[in-house]
Amino acid sequence: MISNRLRLLLAGVTLCFAGVAHAAGFESPQDGVYADHIDWGMTADMSGPSSGAQNPWGQGFQTAMKVVNARGGVNGRSINVLVEDTRYDATAERVAYEKFVSQTPTLGTSGMGNSSAQTAMIPLIKRAKLPVLGTYTTAKATVEPPTPYFYGGFCGFKEMAQVGVGFFTDHLSLKSPKVALVRLDVASGKEFAGYVEASVTARGGTFKDIPIKVVAADATPQVLEILAMKPDFVAIHGVTTTSILVMKGLAQYGLTAPAFAITYLGTPSVYESLGPDAGKNYSFVSCFSPASSDPKASAAMSAAADQYGQGKLKDDVNFVAGWVIGNMVADAIAKAGAEPTREKLSQMVNAGFTANTGGLSSELKYTPTDHLGLVGLKPLSYDYGTKSFRSYGDYADFTKYLN
Amino acid sequence: MLMQFAASGFLLGSVYGLIALGFAVIYKATRVFNFAQGMLMAVGAYLAVTGSVALHLPVLGTFAFVILSAAVLGALIQTVLIRPLAGRPLLPMVMITIALSIILRASIELIYGGGGRTLNLALPSGSVLIGPVRISAIHVTAAAVSWLCMGLFMAFFRFSKAGLLMRATADSHEAAVLSGVNANRINALAWALGTVLAAIGGLFLGQLQLASVELEAIGLLALPAVVIGGLQSIPGAIIGGLLVGLIEQLASGYISPKARDIFIYVPLLLILLVRPWGLLGERELGRV
Repeated sequence: MISNRLRLLLAGVTLCFAGVAHAAGFESPQDGVYADHIDWGMTADMSGPSSGAQNPWGQGFQTAMKVVNARGGVNGRSINVLVEDTRYDATAERVAYEKFVSQTPTLGTSGMGNSSAQTAMIPLIKRAKLPVLGTYTTAKATVEPPTPYFYGGFCGFKEMAQVGVGFFTDHLSLKSPKVALVRLDVASGKEFAGYVEASVTARGGTFKDIPIKVVAADATPQVLEILAMKPDFVAIHGVTTTSILVMKGLAQYGLTAPAFAITYLGTPSVYESLGPDAGKNYSFVSCFSPASSDPKASAAMSAAADQYGQGKLKDDVNFVAGWVIGNMVADAIAKAGAEPTREKLSQMVNAGFTANTGGLSSELKYTPTDHLGLVGLKPLSYDYGTKSFRSYGDYADFTKYLN
Repeated sequence: MLMQFAASGFLLGSVYGLIALGFAVIYKATRVFNFAQGMLMAVGAYLAVTGSVALHLPVLGTFAFVILSAAVLGALIQTVLIRPLAGRPLLPMVMITIALSIILRASIELIYGGGGRTLNLALPSGSVLIGPVRISAIHVTAAAVSWLCMGLFMAFFRFSKAGLLMRATADSHEAAVLSGVNANRINALAWALGTVLAAIGGLFLGQLQLASVELEAIGLLALPAVVIGGLQSIPGAIIGGLLVGLIEQLASGYISPKARDIFIYVPLLLILLVRPWGLLGERELGRV
């Protein structure tokens, strides 16, 4: 005869097993959730005009997911990354998003490195409710005001401008900085110009906006404008080739004013191409830390990069960004519970979510009123002697420039 | 500033002239409008990366590697893709070169990856001041090599037996064949030369910035250069390249970078409307 106590114990154990079995067996194909895996979307320019920066990001993201899966996945499920190459084309970005909504449903998507596409897709994202978690770039319109189901994953242009202008003004002990900005004549370039101008004029300085074409074979006109102005320092927005042309042009004319570039332009290939003469005056601001700038924080990332054949990219700030976002996505999925759905994931993130980035980035935090995520940045430069990046301080040292 | 822009325009235009010359050589010999010329230029930059970084060749060795590889590639393109379509209408020929450009781009990305590659050949660096004009050593080197190549080609075209046969084939394909000229071999030679000229231009542009597939867009500036100068005129292509370089610098410097395209393509339109054979080209008369 079984005692009541034993009956209760057996019933409790049975219920527990039933619960686990139920959770393990939970599937929601319309959310990309299956018993043994979760589908997650990723879009990036892997072969188009900005592939030089976005390809490493994609590699970092996928490397992070490989490590997560090697450790057993999230709540017993592996994460299956579905990759779409959007070639920096807004239409392709939209097609890929819609594919992840219904054709090959995913729990969420990351990447979306085309700010024009992001802005155009705001109504679609609100309607389709497929979370976009961790973007490569973040259009102003998507976070001011915060778009539901959309969460940025890269440093904002406003913060880049504020930290860059603030740091160099103080670093050079300037009272009224004279700043020249060379930028692409595209939406993000105009946006960045507005932020730089605001930061400069707030300090009583003067500002000159100098556009350059994406496809430029020479930067002589831009360099001559800079020479005529004789700025205290130069800000650069563009692609790797234009930043190289501008810096080499400045070196050619013997202009030694320091320059800071946006995060995307802080890559080993840019510094290698510039060489020590032109590169010694070149810095960039970033919310991510290249491996060599913080070997302790990047140990796990470096090991994974070497293991999965991406060792050459670990010092590329874009790879680091992808790695950080990949880990953040895995963390978010875990916190969404054993029965994740798109709605649960969004609610969890929106309620307030802070990712553990292991010191590889500034704080990555979402709140109901802040979907930008990464706010802190720090300036970095390159030491040609040791072939490593070095930062001018910790992220916390530069929060004073943000407002 | 005018002299600075003029000097920069002349130096850059010399490289455009080289690429445009390659375009004109191919068109003059085979009547093919080669839309892949820009991508062939990018191929040259990546060949230089292979030679200097992967094969550890010295500068001259890298140049030789680029020239030989480009020549083989050009001859191969003509033999495999162009020759089978000889005598066909214009559209298939145009589509072939567009497809070739896409295939070359995808192949580069497969082999070298999506990002650009640094090209740091041991070429002259630094700058010199000549009066009010400051010019960089690498720009001077690029222009000097471009003019050397153009000079060598002009001499080859005018004084060598192969050049004479090339001119004969271009003037009258049927007459040349009837005279016993191996037209296929001559056309392959033309494509080899055109590809080499583009590749050398790509090497220098890759050195100036980065070896990347985006160099194609710069290389395609050779198209307006060759149309303005004259599709079938060798000197016209060179002059067209210089004009495009000068216009680019002056428009970007005095107006804005956006103005560059307007000031390059408006003359192109006018030339096509008023004098479609170009500034130095010859008007073609057909006998009915």
